[in-house]
Amino acid sequence: MKKVYRYTTGFWIVLMALLIDFGCTQQAPYNFTEQEVALEWGQLTLYITQYTPANSPTFASRAFGYIGLTMYESIVHGYDSHLSMAGQLNGLESLPEPVPGQQYNWVLSLNAAQASILRNIYVQTSDENKLRIDSLENAVYLHFSDILNDEEIAGRSVAYGQAVAEAIFEWSKTDGGHRGYLRNFDKEAVHPDRPGSWKPPLYAQSFSHLPLHPHWGDNRTFLKQNSNLPYPEIFPYDTVPDSPYYKEFMKVYEKDMVLTQTEKEAAIWWGDDPDVTFTPPGHSYYFATLAIEKAKPPLIQCAEVYAKMGMATADAFINCWKWKYYFFSERPNTFIPKYIDEEWESFWPDPPFPAFPSGHAIQAAASATVLENVFGKPFQFMDRAHEGRERDDVRDTDFVVRSFGNFWEAAQETADSRFYGGIHTPLDNKVGLEEGVNIANNVISLNWVKEGRQ
Amino acid sequence: MKQVYQALAFLAFIAFPTGKCLSQTPFTDVTAKAGIEHQFHVFEGTFGGGATVFDINNDGYEDLFITSGTRDDVLYLNNGDGTFKNIYESSGLNVTRDFVTQGAASADVNRDGLRDLFVTTINRTDSSQTIPRAKNLFFLNNGDLTFRDATEEYKLDQLNSFSTGASFGDVNADGFPDLYVGNYFLEFEGTLGVLKDATIVSAHQTAKGYLLINRGGEYFENQYEEYQLGHRGFGFGALFTDFDDDGDQDLLVNHDFGYKAVPNFLYENQYPRRSFRDVSEINEMDLKENAMGSAVGDYNNDGLLDYYVTNIKFNLLMENRGAGHPFTDRAKELGTYNFAISWGANFADFDHDTDLDLYVSNGDLNPNCTPMGNFYFENTDYTFIDKSRVMGVNNYGMGRGSVVFDMENDGDLDILVVNQVPVKEYPTESVTTLFRNDASDGNWIKIALKGLEAETNGIGSRVEVVVGDTHMTREIDGGGSSHLSQNSVIAHFGLGKATVADSVIVTWVGGKKQVLLQQKANQLLTITEVASSSWKWWYLAIPLLFMMLLGINHFRRKRHP
Repeated sequence: MKKVYRYTTGFWIVLMALLIDFGCTQQAPYNFTEQEVALEWGQLTLYITQYTPANSPTFASRAFGYIGLTMYESIVHGYDSHLSMAGQLNGLESLPEPVPGQQYNWVLSLNAAQASILRNIYVQTSDENKLRIDSLENAVYLHFSDILNDEEIAGRSVAYGQAVAEAIFEWSKTDGGHRGYLRNFDKEAVHPDRPGSWKPPLYAQSFSHLPLHPHWGDNRTFLKQNSNLPYPEIFPYDTVPDSPYYKEFMKVYEKDMVLTQTEKEAAIWWGDDPDVTFTPPGHSYYFATLAIEKAKPPLIQCAEVYAKMGMATADAFINCWKWKYYFFSERPNTFIPKYIDEEWESFWPDPPFPAFPSGHAIQAAASATVLENVFGKPFQFMDRAHEGRERDDVRDTDFVVRSFGNFWEAAQETADSRFYGGIHTPLDNKVGLEEGVNIANNVISLNWVKEGRQ
Repeated sequence: MKQVYQALAFLAFIAFPTGKCLSQTPFTDVTAKAGIEHQFHVFEGTFGGGATVFDINNDGYEDLFITSGTRDDVLYLNNGDGTFKNIYESSGLNVTRDFVTQGAASADVNRDGLRDLFVTTINRTDSSQTIPRAKNLFFLNNGDLTFRDATEEYKLDQLNSFSTGASFGDVNADGFPDLYVGNYFLEFEGTLGVLKDATIVSAHQTAKGYLLINRGGEYFENQYEEYQLGHRGFGFGALFTDFDDDGDQDLLVNHDFGYKAVPNFLYENQYPRRSFRDVSEINEMDLKENAMGSAVGDYNNDGLLDYYVTNIKFNLLMENRGAGHPFTDRAKELGTYNFAISWGANFADFDHDTDLDLYVSNGDLNPNCTPMGNFYFENTDYTFIDKSRVMGVNNYGMGRGSVVFDMENDGDLDILVVNQVPVKEYPTESVTTLFRNDASDGNWIKIALKGLEAETNGIGSRVEVVVGDTHMTREIDGGGSSHLSQNSVIAHFGLGKATVADSVIVTWVGGKKQVLLQQKANQLLTITEVASSSWKWWYLAIPLLFMMLLGINHFRRKRHP
């Protein structure tokens, strides 16, 4: 609630500033650097992700994919060093190109494109949130068009940005996830019913007894290369205490018995419940924002990070969901009370979908792989995603800011936290991490920069 | 060990699916014999199924209304000979078939001496609305075995909601019963118009309940905020109960997903002030559970009302330890802590040994369809043992609401449990089941209230019976002391070997007490409220007014010395 208040205040300040601006002078109210424009859009994207009802990690990851890509495509032609993704992605043959010889202001293009794609992808957000998009778009526009002082170029740049965003949005409509928030839970879907099958959780995060987005795995991936990865391997179902399957759950059970306060803090920190936070892929998009804030790379690289991050995590979720529904595997909360301890309950409530592999792990690994690729291996940063949140009384645990020396540490902790929370086995996490790396490496391997320019 | 026991129990259950006919048990399944033929049909999810016990024609035999979800509800007229007749079609209640019904509660809303009916709904049956919501339904009893739809007349038709449980209670002690209605998902006022995606995605957010104040028996007005009930939650209804024994109706609110969304609430009625005070935290009743329902009963006869809160996995027995002490969950040590998914629960002295036993209705969450037997916790020296098998009431249907009442007026309490149709293959029968109690051999007394200033049937009033050293307490259920259901409004007491109840004490809503001494056992005693004479008020009011004037004067002098 506090957070809402904080954001609302910021919103009114911007609005007031705009009104004063229109009323008195013709000076832009704020100074932005180019990187700050990218960051502002990154932050607003996270805000909208968090404060749009019925959001899900799946839908959010897809949105980040298109929003990040749009940022990149709306400016890429302004940089000799970089290449468009048109022709490199799954079914995206071409995108609008700037008219040769004409001048463009790339920040204005980016600004218009971000506003357009955000409005379209999050058409279901509140009117208040839509005003926020307008406000940011106006503020950035006023500042940069003022400096540019050329209405024709400004108009052309805005139109170009919008055209790119609209083309990407059109393409997005056919991927299977368009307006996916209307189909979070498919009442008609038929699921496997065999020993070890996923069962609706009794200690649940969601009111739904149906699993989330059962067909998400059929969605078009951003990269063709990510659409035919081999199925990972899972331990065969077994209730014999010596079996690898049983031992996996025994590990979860034993860990829960000796959970330290630090581990509890990790478990709640990475929960990233879509009902109250910006979702797990949001945490990754937030890391991109943190890294950009610290490293302040040129604008094109900011956009490149968001694009890689968005597409890598989006493809990670599609694959993860494909496998989750293929294996349809149970959670510790189903197995442990049945075979180990009737009274056992996980530290963190179950999300409404099957276990294997871990969605947290797969997207965190994809994220770390992207960030290491751009910013290098050692990178000191503080994760303040949930700073100041009210303590978790049910679990008697505080939200404690994390500090990391490199991105992989954060990914590892994300995965481990699901094990501490008692909702994933070590194998769910291990496979998640491995596959996340593979998926992100495919994204990184696209032709982002021209030969010899790196 | 527990697992082995469970496995055995399950095997036994597989082997004898109709174990009830094989041996004589203290309870007898009389469903078919009584002419009860009912199942609750879910709409999509897993919600619903409740019954209300009410004597619609004042013939002394209590009748039943049972919701059926997407199918036709039933109104069972008690023939008085152990059988019931479904008169739904001719009753005027048949407009409920346009709605997906959930629960029901009954009270004499317009004080004409007849029990009226409120039915909660979550959707209409005839349309494929994008957002499932509907008005709840209110029916006035015509007294000739028919009802008329008074939803619009009572100004309830603009409240579009996904409602679960309803309870009548006289919040302002004016004799006109008010209503609390639990809503599960965000409620809307009026029609929804053109649906934008933004409206659709907000549809599954938590809801406010309704506090419908009865305006002189003429209409209802939602006074939720006015009475300081600000909460939202995944509501499963509430229970009006005087937990602090100060003569007014407090409110215990049940919420699903309490550990994640919004916990349970306990509100203290500030009567005669028109507001409730949130006392959940200091009483440690801000339970963070999947609270499906709660049953009220003084299980240890200490004069303090305790609450059994049903839940997913393990239920809670919240013991009242009196003013200044928080409630404590004693389910585990007292033996009412068995794994199940529980909904309805009913405290009743089934065996007439002067303590309250506890029946619990269990059922899986559709589309999960694993049978789980109901519980019958027998109270022995204020601890409990599950005897559902030996008592013959371990029904394995998909249980939801349950009620207790004396179907044939033989002095003991029978059980009706509402069962759902499992949406998947189910290894046994799952039909609404009526268990006749043949277990009791002690004496008993039943007390019916006739309110003159209080609600006609004394809903919300407290009835106490003292026999020797034993002091028993009951509350008249206005709906909600179970799940989506309402028990009999006739207070029932087992007296053991005693042939006389030494005293019977009634505390009417508002705080007025009435005492009767030396009442014979094995009878239905009707206690009519003694009307308070109005001149007494003047005696009180005059000095009070005088003191107030003095006080004001004093205060003013202080401010302007």
